[in-house]
Amino acid sequence: MGKVRRISGCVAAANAVKLADVDVICSYPIRPYTGIMSELARMVADGELDAEFIHGEGEHAQLSVVYGASAAGARTFTGSSGVGVTYAFEVYSPISGERLPVQMAIGDRTLDPPGDFGSEHTDAECCRDQGWIQGWASTQQEVLDMHLIYYRVGEDPRVMLPQFVCQDGYYITHILGEVDIPDPSQVKEFLPPYKNHHVLDPKNPMIIGAQIEPAMGPPLQYQRYQAMQAVGQVLREAHEEFARIFGRRYDPFLEEYLTEDAEVVIFGQGAHMVTAKAVAARLRNLGEKVGVVRLRTFRPFPTEEIRRRMSRFKAIGVLDNSVNFGISCNGGVLLSELRAALYDFGDKVKTVGFVAGLGGEVVTHDEFYRMFRKIQEIAKTGKVEQTAYWLPFEL
Amino acid sequence: MLERIPSIRKAPDEEYYVPGHRTCAGCGPALAYRLTAKAAGPNTIFIGPTGCMYVANTSYGCGPWRVPWIHAQITNGGAVASGIEAAFKVLARKKKYQGEIPHVIVFAGDGGAVDIGLQALSGMLYRGHDVLFICYDNESYANTGIQTSPTTPYGAWTTFTPAGPAVPEGKKLFPKDNPKVVAHGHPELKYLATASIGWPVDLMNKVRKGLNAEGPAYLHIQAPCPKGWQFPPNKTIEMAKLAVQTGMFQLYEYENGEYKLSVKMEERKPVAEYLKLQKRFAHLQPEHIEKLQAFVDARCAEVGITVPAVASAR
Repeated sequence: MGKVRRISGCVAAANAVKLADVDVICSYPIRPYTGIMSELARMVADGELDAEFIHGEGEHAQLSVVYGASAAGARTFTGSSGVGVTYAFEVYSPISGERLPVQMAIGDRTLDPPGDFGSEHTDAECCRDQGWIQGWASTQQEVLDMHLIYYRVGEDPRVMLPQFVCQDGYYITHILGEVDIPDPSQVKEFLPPYKNHHVLDPKNPMIIGAQIEPAMGPPLQYQRYQAMQAVGQVLREAHEEFARIFGRRYDPFLEEYLTEDAEVVIFGQGAHMVTAKAVAARLRNLGEKVGVVRLRTFRPFPTEEIRRRMSRFKAIGVLDNSVNFGISCNGGVLLSELRAALYDFGDKVKTVGFVAGLGGEVVTHDEFYRMFRKIQEIAKTGKVEQTAYWLPFEL
Repeated sequence: MLERIPSIRKAPDEEYYVPGHRTCAGCGPALAYRLTAKAAGPNTIFIGPTGCMYVANTSYGCGPWRVPWIHAQITNGGAVASGIEAAFKVLARKKKYQGEIPHVIVFAGDGGAVDIGLQALSGMLYRGHDVLFICYDNESYANTGIQTSPTTPYGAWTTFTPAGPAVPEGKKLFPKDNPKVVAHGHPELKYLATASIGWPVDLMNKVRKGLNAEGPAYLHIQAPCPKGWQFPPNKTIEMAKLAVQTGMFQLYEYENGEYKLSVKMEERKPVAEYLKLQKRFAHLQPEHIEKLQAFVDARCAEVGITVPAVASAR
């Protein structure tokens, strides 16, 4: 068994990277994820971790460095926040397209404006369709665990895709939580060494990333699509193995909280769901049948899981902590995708969106009460007067 | 350690850039690639940022390299190479890779080296990665159909710098001097040189010196482009030689803070003799040519080419 320490989400991520015996790390400073790299730099300086620690000249370089290193056979790690995430955008598709299982931490931060350091999921969600596995942790422990699980899933020969491990800026990156840091021997059992069969090696020359003719476009993209389709099953297996070795069990896709006989739930991802759970628990004390469903895997979006498990609720409120100007239904991407997933159930399951916590503003208990009240009202009346509400202005 | 090649006859027979590409007839960059690959040998990895030497060389299942090659974006050749070099270093140290550490060469066009790729190049040199970064300079964004780049000469026509009544000279700006940008700001740089496909033995030996250096090296190769410069494809070598003989391009090594000239010249030819063979300069008026000659004189003086420009006898 490991040892329990009180650490931040940043330090939790760094510990996972060390346990994964990563070979090449590429850094560039931007709040709030920077603490991950500071901790890794310390580990390298103190001789706790043998890795090449490269100071990239920007986020675009960070992703480019790990692209090259991964193609040369190294296990790699990088990370960013906010506008840093979007500055690197060009390189996301080449990484997944060459099937390089690079791992990147995102400590969420709002894009500019407003230029503050506050957490917002917009940065990471911008990258959602680039062929990367993507999910949000909601505690410091889950950060560490998710990093390890994602390395295993991304490097699985059936998958070979890069991964974004996302944590809310400040709420998780900077706040301390109790974390059970596993023993290296457990990690060794869980995470096999990185092995890429399409590696740069003069003894076995190959061309990686050749320009292709249009006729080769559909099969190439279909392979990447199939890899993403394979993630679900590999995630299930990895979570089973994780529970067996580490004794912590997570649902790979959806964490359900107080949902057994719930009539209405709030659906969302990341740290704000911790607040949502606290409010749901209080409402339960008042005898109200409310619950919370927290999305753990955003890409691939678990459509079948959602259809199977969430069509039983009368009404679902969806919290989007991001801006998606002009999106369908005026909410965010989570609302849009949840509605699409539940489309076949029609009016049986009502949905309503909430956009809250922008620019890093706290989503308060009071706001969650108001959201639950709105969802309950919709469940009772069967009427959705407005597809989404921006808090605090419209609700 | 790669040995010095004494003459073209003593150059290795083996080719590592072989038929199977679709470059234009008379392509200067393709010849630069062939010579570079020959000099570097089999234990080499090429990084190819987007450009002619990506698009014309690779098509699915058909590429001209007998050594590993990986695509990089036009933006990030230096950074991708940094990652590859670092990976081999750490994997060897951690005993996850057995074997000789390969040479790592970026083969970037002038856009990928001097313009959009300059940041990644500078980062790579600054950090001291043991990589040879080669710019094959055909003086334009040729792959996209000939648009101006920072190395396009003053007065050259491109589709983004057409000559017209309001802009009679076409391109109005003087070219960026990337070897000097590189040379004077990167303390880890171990070797820098310019080369030309008109001097193939010199070019191959500079590749080898760059690879033998323990640390980053930069080689700027001028490689004429018949399509972009608008000259017949059988004149590529002649154009490369004239560029050096006129001083439009200067051949040197930069070591220990000094420029060491690679070609002895008794005199230079006037730039007009170079310009008149290329249709990209066809619109230039005498005052433009004069302006360009003055610029070339000054740039030559910077590296120690002090011989005067003298018109050839007719």
